[in-house]
Amino acid sequence: MVINWLQVLMNSLVWGCMYLLVAVGLSLTYGLSRFPNFAHAEYVTFGAYMAYMFFSILGLDLYLSVGLAVLSSALLGGLSYVLLFKPLKSRGASLIHLMVASIGLGLLIRHTLMQVFGGGILSFKMIWPCISIGPVVTTPLLLTAIATALIVATLLHILLMKTKLGKAIRATADNPELAAASGIDMDRVSLFTWLLGAALAGFSGVFLAMRSSLVPLLGWKVLLQAFAITLLGGIGSFYGTLAASFILSLSENLGVVALTWLGLSADYRSAVAFIVLVSTLIIKPEGLISTVKRRA
Amino acid sequence: MPDPLMYALDAVAYAGIFGMLSLSLNLEYGYTNLANFGKVAFFMVGAYVAAVMARMKYPFAVYALVAALVAGFIGLLTSLPALRLREDFLAITMIALGEVMKLIVKNEEWLAGGVWGLSGIPPAVVVQGLSFRERLLVQIALIYGCLVACYVVCELIAKSPYGRVLKTIREDELLAAAYGKNVFRYKACTFALGSAVSGLAGALFAQYMGTVSPYMFEPTVTFSVWMMVILGGPANNTGAVLGAFLVEGFHRSSRLLKDYIGLPLDPINLQVMLTALLVITVVFYRPQGLLKERITPLDRGLLKKLKPMYRRVKTWVRS
Repeated sequence: MVINWLQVLMNSLVWGCMYLLVAVGLSLTYGLSRFPNFAHAEYVTFGAYMAYMFFSILGLDLYLSVGLAVLSSALLGGLSYVLLFKPLKSRGASLIHLMVASIGLGLLIRHTLMQVFGGGILSFKMIWPCISIGPVVTTPLLLTAIATALIVATLLHILLMKTKLGKAIRATADNPELAAASGIDMDRVSLFTWLLGAALAGFSGVFLAMRSSLVPLLGWKVLLQAFAITLLGGIGSFYGTLAASFILSLSENLGVVALTWLGLSADYRSAVAFIVLVSTLIIKPEGLISTVKRRA
Repeated sequence: MPDPLMYALDAVAYAGIFGMLSLSLNLEYGYTNLANFGKVAFFMVGAYVAAVMARMKYPFAVYALVAALVAGFIGLLTSLPALRLREDFLAITMIALGEVMKLIVKNEEWLAGGVWGLSGIPPAVVVQGLSFRERLLVQIALIYGCLVACYVVCELIAKSPYGRVLKTIREDELLAAAYGKNVFRYKACTFALGSAVSGLAGALFAQYMGTVSPYMFEPTVTFSVWMMVILGGPANNTGAVLGAFLVEGFHRSSRLLKDYIGLPLDPINLQVMLTALLVITVVFYRPQGLLKERITPLDRGLLKKLKPMYRRVKTWVRS
């Protein structure tokens, strides 16, 4: 069997960019609010459905619909923080209660979407021409996705490293008490992070849905990968997430090659994420770049 | 015309099976603070082991035992990496395990029938010449026999010194460790036991349904079980069973609501949306559940004795 290794690398790059957009928000909110938000998957789905609504149902301009979709996704993330998680935390809810509430919220969002848009498969009805660059085949959509992810990564780097807000985010994730004592407005920083994380998740949802199709489980299907990346990269660490996204997508794509070679179903690709997740917990539970204390 | 009595009896049987799941989660979460968000994985493993073995004509006692053992073993194995870490790591691992397990049964057609599942599973107890209703009553007797056995075991564990160690771990791991208890081993054993009980519930489910398919084991099952424990009252076995009845009743009535009032909503969507809203409300306003944890006089005496010791240990550890 001949394997087109360049294509494998290209696929890893594309998926790494997708995963980065999903996982960055998860990792930042996890680091800041100290609990894994299982509803994060539904921000991905929500963004995709909103883009579908604006573009295919209301017939708006493509760029405008994507922009509106990202905004509504951010709004959903912000609302879920302000209306659910912040009050729960201030009531002193335990970590497990926060996780249960986030799963509940996720199901609520997913099934509301299913009620409104139906549970079936929807499509943006767009046809992308194939572009061949040497032995690699790709589409303009995927190239746009890569460019977007790289721009977002650069902007995030500038935000987190150069601006006051970014420093406040990192400080709060590092040590909330010290950050509060230094006069950082924690509510504002948290709210901003939740808005940003959900917006990026919604953005990735649009790409994921345009690449194949729009289903209610769109976000749930990448949640496992997002968690593997978050834990591998180190919770709350942007650079860790950046590296882990590409590590995971590369191992997944190599995993698919290995699976085909072994004669197993390529569906097992998400099992690669599970293996990465469990190995991280065994070998380096604090992740590649650690910011938050792991042990109880 | 559907038979309302059959519908009610079916609900009772379901509540019994879910009562066992709820009891097992209560053991893990209520007493030991272990966040098992992959309950459905162990339930599914139990159901599939039972389905495969029942089709090979093994007796119920044998396959139920094997189902429990296999589920317990997988629980032990997969929880080990996360048990030393914070609760959220176990939660993430388990939710991922649920997905991976479903992936395996969907893809291994030779073993588990793939997306079509396995059908033609014979019921555990076959009595000749019974009507459909009477056969359902036999099923209910079997399920409730197992439920009562599980309840007794869970109550015995909760009241035993072992159960008190579990509660101590829940309240303060450091304290339990300071008393020379191997916290890690207690957690692992509890997790394995909880998974084994879920496996047994899965075996009962498989022979009751007569068919298993991957679509019966969605993550919403796990969520329902969590809802049962949180609503009923964590660390209270009666509460866990009560929660199972309430949630099952709630599910059924939301389906009836749809049929009789004719709401323009899909029944599954309505059911999940209402369940999710209810769980968020309970976590918000009554996190201790309907039935609170009962603190027995012995425990109260123990607490009084423990408090000064606990303070001494804490100052000792800090110094």
